[in-house]
Amino acid sequence: MSFLELSNLSKRYGPVTALAGVDLSVASGSRTAIVGPSGCGKTTLLRLIAGFEAPDQGRIVLDGKVLANGGAAVPAHRRGIGVVAQDGALFPHLTISDNIGFGMERGEDKRTERIVELAYIVGLDKAILKRRPHELSGGQQQRVALARAMAMKPRLMLLDEPFSALDTGLRASMRKAVAELLEAAGITTILVTHDQAEALSFASQVAVMREGKFSQVGTPRDLYLKPRDRMVAEFLGDAIILPARIADGFATSPLGRIAVDTTENRDIARIMLRPEQIGLKRTSREGMSGTPDMLFGEVTESEFAGALCMVAVRLLNNPDPPDAAAIGNTPLILRKSGMDAPAVGEIVRLTVSGKAHVFA
Amino acid sequence: MKYALSALAGATALAISLIAGPAAAENDGIIVYNAQHESLAKEWAEGFTKETGIKVTLRNGGDSDFSNQIVAEGAASPADVFLTENSPAMVLVENAGLFAPVDADTLAQVPQDYQASSGKWVGIAARSTVFAYNKTKLSADKLPKSLLDLADPSWKGRWAASPSGADFQAIVSALLQLKGEAATADWLKAMKANFTAYKGNSTVMKAVNAGEIEGGVIYHYYYFGDQAKTGENSKNVELHYFKNQDPGAFVSVSGGGVLASSKHQKEAQAFLKWVAGKGGQEVLKNGQSFEYAVGKGAESNPKLVPLTDLQAPKVDAATLNSKKVTDLMTAAGLL
Amino acid sequence: MQSAVDLARSSLPSKTRRRAHRRVAPSIVTAAVLVSLLALVPLAFIIWIAVQTGWETVSALIFRPRVGELLVNTGLLVLLTVPIAIVLSVSLAWLTERTDLPGARLWAWLCVAPLAIPAFVHSYAWITILPGLHGLWAGVLVSVIAYFPLLYLPVSAALRRLDPALEDAAAALGLGPWRVFRRVVLPQLRLAICGGSLLVGLHLLAEYGLYVFIRFDTFTTAIVDQFQSTFNGPAANMLAGVLVSCCFVLLGLEVLVRGEERYARVGSGAARHQPRAHLGRATILCLLLPGITTLLTIGVPFITIGRWLVAGGTEVWRFDEIGLALGQTLFLALAGALLATIAAMPMAWISIRAPGPLQRVLEGCNYIVGSLPGVVIALALVTITVRIALPLYQTLFTILVAYALMFLPRALVSLRASIAQAPIELERAASSLGRAPLNALWSTTIRLSAPGAAAGMALVALGIMNELTATQMLAPNGTRTLAMAFWSYSGEIDYASASPYAFIMVAMSLPLTWLLYVQSKRMAGR
Repeated sequence: MSFLELSNLSKRYGPVTALAGVDLSVASGSRTAIVGPSGCGKTTLLRLIAGFEAPDQGRIVLDGKVLANGGAAVPAHRRGIGVVAQDGALFPHLTISDNIGFGMERGEDKRTERIVELAYIVGLDKAILKRRPHELSGGQQQRVALARAMAMKPRLMLLDEPFSALDTGLRASMRKAVAELLEAAGITTILVTHDQAEALSFASQVAVMREGKFSQVGTPRDLYLKPRDRMVAEFLGDAIILPARIADGFATSPLGRIAVDTTENRDIARIMLRPEQIGLKRTSREGMSGTPDMLFGEVTESEFAGALCMVAVRLLNNPDPPDAAAIGNTPLILRKSGMDAPAVGEIVRLTVSGKAHVFA
Repeated sequence: MKYALSALAGATALAISLIAGPAAAENDGIIVYNAQHESLAKEWAEGFTKETGIKVTLRNGGDSDFSNQIVAEGAASPADVFLTENSPAMVLVENAGLFAPVDADTLAQVPQDYQASSGKWVGIAARSTVFAYNKTKLSADKLPKSLLDLADPSWKGRWAASPSGADFQAIVSALLQLKGEAATADWLKAMKANFTAYKGNSTVMKAVNAGEIEGGVIYHYYYFGDQAKTGENSKNVELHYFKNQDPGAFVSVSGGGVLASSKHQKEAQAFLKWVAGKGGQEVLKNGQSFEYAVGKGAESNPKLVPLTDLQAPKVDAATLNSKKVTDLMTAAGLL
Repeated sequence: MQSAVDLARSSLPSKTRRRAHRRVAPSIVTAAVLVSLLALVPLAFIIWIAVQTGWETVSALIFRPRVGELLVNTGLLVLLTVPIAIVLSVSLAWLTERTDLPGARLWAWLCVAPLAIPAFVHSYAWITILPGLHGLWAGVLVSVIAYFPLLYLPVSAALRRLDPALEDAAAALGLGPWRVFRRVVLPQLRLAICGGSLLVGLHLLAEYGLYVFIRFDTFTTAIVDQFQSTFNGPAANMLAGVLVSCCFVLLGLEVLVRGEERYARVGSGAARHQPRAHLGRATILCLLLPGITTLLTIGVPFITIGRWLVAGGTEVWRFDEIGLALGQTLFLALAGALLATIAAMPMAWISIRAPGPLQRVLEGCNYIVGSLPGVVIALALVTITVRIALPLYQTLFTILVAYALMFLPRALVSLRASIAQAPIELERAASSLGRAPLNALWSTTIRLSAPGAAAGMALVALGIMNELTATQMLAPNGTRTLAMAFWSYSGEIDYASASPYAFIMVAMSLPLTWLLYVQSKRMAGR
C-alpha cells in the first residue's frame, strides 16, 4: 500500500525549473533514496515534501491526507514529518538535551527520560547531553539531529544528505546504523543523496533524478543491472557500453557473444556491462593462438591503489567486429583486486560472466 | 607605498603643527576670552582692528567657565583680555589677583558706578533684569511685585529661567548681596519647586512667547534683539521691570579687564580703552545688541527704557560672589 | 558615535589568531602599552580627584537629591529607549532582510542613514516642528530616532547570516512561524541585540545637545552645566564619576545578559540562501513601518533644515564664516582620525598576531575608555592639562588626544579586520629577505591594511565631525567647528543661521554612513 504519493509535482524558481512533474509512490515502512547530481532538484523535492515550500503544481498525499495540492499546502510545522539536514542544523544556542527535546511539549511527561532514551537509541553517551553542539564531532551531531527528529515520532523521515559531511569510514557505519534504527522504529524514510553507493546500499527503492525528473525508479539491483539509459547506468557506477546485434538472447559485440537479458531481436542495439562482469586470466601471446572465439588483450596500464587496481586493457583481437576499429583503440578500464592484478605488457584473456543489459 | 608615505608625511606635518601651532597664535595680535555675545564682540573686534590694525582673536564662551578657566590657567593663561556679560566673573578673576590695573584714561571714560573700585576692571556695557511675560496669558495687574514673589507657591509651574547661565547666576548673586545667604537659599529652594528650567535666555523667551509658560526671569535685550529682527519669538512678549530697588531690578554690569599675565599689555589696554570708549559704546547704541551703554556721556539705544529710570538696587559689583552662588544653587539642586 | 565597540568584539574569528607568532617586536608591545596607559589617564584622573576632594565633600556632592533626580532621568531614559529601539530595529531588520518587502535594499540603507544626522540636529528638527516638545518622552522619541540604527546595523547583519536550515528544522519539529521566531531566531540575535543595546545605552549617557534642545536633564547635561558655572570644579568631576559608574553598570549588564554562549554556525556546509517571507496582502501595511520611520528619522530633519534654509535665504550662507568652520572641522577630523589610527596600529597588530592575556587587558582598557562619554574625557583632560601640563592646555594636541581616546575603538576594528586578512607569511618572507622586523612590518602588513585603515579613519572622522561637547571644552583659541557654529546659532534661537551648518554636516556624513553600512555587512562575516 502506498504511504506517500507524489503526483506530477512541479516547481519553478523564476526561469529555472527545479521540478518538472515528479511522480513517486513510497510504501509504508520502506526506505527510498533519491539520488542525482547536484542541482537535479532532489533537495527541492525534499523541501516540498517537508513543507518548507509549496509546489506550483501537483499533489502530495501522506497516509491518505492531502498535504499539498498546487499552491495550497499544509505548512511544515503541521505535517509531522521528521527532517535531518545535511549538517544536522542543531540549534547552537541550546544544549544537546534541549536540542533533542526541542519538538516535545515543554511540560511533556517524562521529557527527560525520553531524551535520555532517544540519546541511547541513536548511540549517544548520556554525558554529552549537557554539552553544546559545537563541542560535538560531526557524527555525534548527526546522531543528535536524528534523535531530535525522532522525538516527535514522525510518520515519515526525510534525510537530506545527512552523511555527506562525515569521514568515509564513519559514513558507512552511520548509514547502516541509521537504516537499522529507522527500520526498527518502523519509520518510512526518504534519503536524498548524490552518492550512488549510499543510495544503493541504504534503500529498498531508489529513484534516480535528473533535471527535475525521475529517470528511473526501482530496486537498487534493478537500477544497477538494468538501467533505463546510459545516464542512469553511468551515474550508478562504471559501465562498459557497446554496440551490438541482438539475436536469440545473445548479443554479438566487440567483446564477442554475450548473453543478454532480453529475448527481443534487434540489429542495432547498445548493451551495457558492469566492469566487474569481465574477468581477466593471465596468459601469453603463445596462448592466444588456436582459440578464435576467445578474447585477448594486452595490459597497457596498471595503477596500484590499495585494495583495488585500475587496469587498462587493449583488445588484441575481436572475433566478430561490427566496428572493430573504434573499440580496438579504446582500452577497457577495469578494477581488479590489487593482490593479483596483471602488470603492464601482460597478455590476458577476457571472460564475461552474467548477462549484458540491453538499453531500450 | 604611496599611501604609507603620505601617511607618514601627514603625521610629521601634524607633529610640527602641534608644536608650532599655539606659539604662532600668541605672537599674532591679542587673544580675547569673550563671554559677551559673539556678534557684539565681533563688531568690537572688527572696529578695533580697523582703527588700529591690531588683530584680535576671540575665544567665545561663558562668564563662569572663562573666569574659572582663567583662575585655573593662572599666570600661563593665553588670554590678554577678558570680557564678560556680568560682574561676578570679573570679581572672581580679580580676587585671584590676575588682572593688571586698567589704564587711568580708560577708567576715566566710565562713571564710578560702573567700574571696580580697585580699578582692576571696567564696565563696558550693562543689562537690566526683567520679567518677560506672555501678554495673552498674564495681565499686567497679576504680575509679581518683586522677584521674591516668585518663590510663592502660587507661582508654581508658571515661570522659567536659565539657571545654568551666568546671567541668572548674576541675578542670584545680587539677591545674595541684598538679602543675605539664608534668604537666598530659601528663595532658591522655592524656585526649584516652582520654576521650569530652560537652557539659555533666548529659549526662555521663546517658550514664554509660545505660551509654554507665563513668564521668565531674563535680561531686557533679548526682547529688543528679537523685535529688531523678525519678532517671531517675542510678538506675544511684554517686559515687566520690577524697579523700586527690588533685587529683580538688578542691573548687571558687563566688565572688561586686562590679564596681568598678558604679554601684549599695550595692545590689550588699547582694546579695552576702545571698547569702553566712544567707538565701543557707539556699537552698543547703533548695533543689534541692545545692551546699555555705560560710558560717560554715551547714549544707549533710544528704544530702551533709560538706564536712569530703572530704579536699580544699589549693588557693589566688586563684591558679587559667584562661587557662593553656584554652591547655593548646587545645594538647592538647580545645578 | 562609538559604534565600533560591538563590532570590535564580534569581528575576531578565532582562526585568525595565530599562536605561532609569539615573538612580538618589543617596540610594538611598548607602543601598545603606552597607548593603553594614556587611554586610562582620564579614568584614573576621576578617581584621583575623588580621593583628593575628600570623602565628606564627595558624599555631599554625590548623595544629594539632584543626583538622584538625574539618576532617575537617565535611568528611565535608558530603560525606555533601549527596548523600544530593540523592537523597532528587529522589526525593521526582519522586514528588510527576510521578507519580499519592495525596495528592501533602499529601506535598509535608509535605516542606517539617520546616523549621518548628528543627534542634536535631530533634536533641532523636532523642536522646530513641535516647539513645546520636552521631558522624558520627548527624550525617548528623539533618542530612538537618532540611535536606533546602532541596533539595526548589528541585528540586520546577524539576521542575514543566520542559517535558514535551523528555522526549517524548527518548523519540521512542529513549531509555527511565531514560535520559530521566538525560540530559534531571537535567541540567535541575542549577541547582536546585546551589543547594539549597549551602544545605544552608552550614547544615551554621553549625549548632550539632543537633551538640551528638549529640556531633559541627564548626567551629561548636568556636567556641562556645572562646567559652565564652575569650570572643572569638584561637583562636575563627581557627576562625571557617577556617569562613569553608570557606563560600567551598562557594560556589566551587557556581559551578564550576553553570557558565554556561542552562537556560531555549527557544521560545515555553506549556509543556503535565505528564503524571503512572502508578505502578500500585508505588504502595504508592512511598508508603513519603514515608511513612517524614514519620515520621522530622515524626513523631519531634511524638511526642517530645508525650511530654515529657505527662510534664511542667501543671507545665512556667510561663506567666509562657513568656509572657515568647514576647513577647521575637516582639519580636526582628518588629524584626529590619523592620530587615532596610528595609535590603534600597535594594538591591532598585537590582537591579531600575538593574542594572549596581555593583549586582552590592553584591549579592555581601550574598550572601556572608548565607551566613556566625551564630556568625561574632556573634563579629565581639561583638569590634567590645567593642573599638570599647562603648556598643553587648549592646544591642538590635547583635543586630538581626546578624539583619539574617544574614537580609538573605531579605528581598531577596521584595522584589525584588515590586518587579519594580511597573511603573516608575508611578514616572515620580508624578514627572511633581510628586512628588520619593523621594516618588514611596514612593507607588508601595514601596507596591506591600508584600505582598512582608511575605512577606520573615515569612521573616526565622522565621529569627530559631529562631536560637540569635547570640542567645546578643549578646542584651541579661535576654533569654531561646524558643530560649534551650529550650536552657537541655535543657542540664540537663530535657527535659520544654524541651518547651513546642519546641512553641511549631514551632507558630509551621508557617504560615511554608507561606509558604516558596508563595513557592518563585512563584519557580519559575509
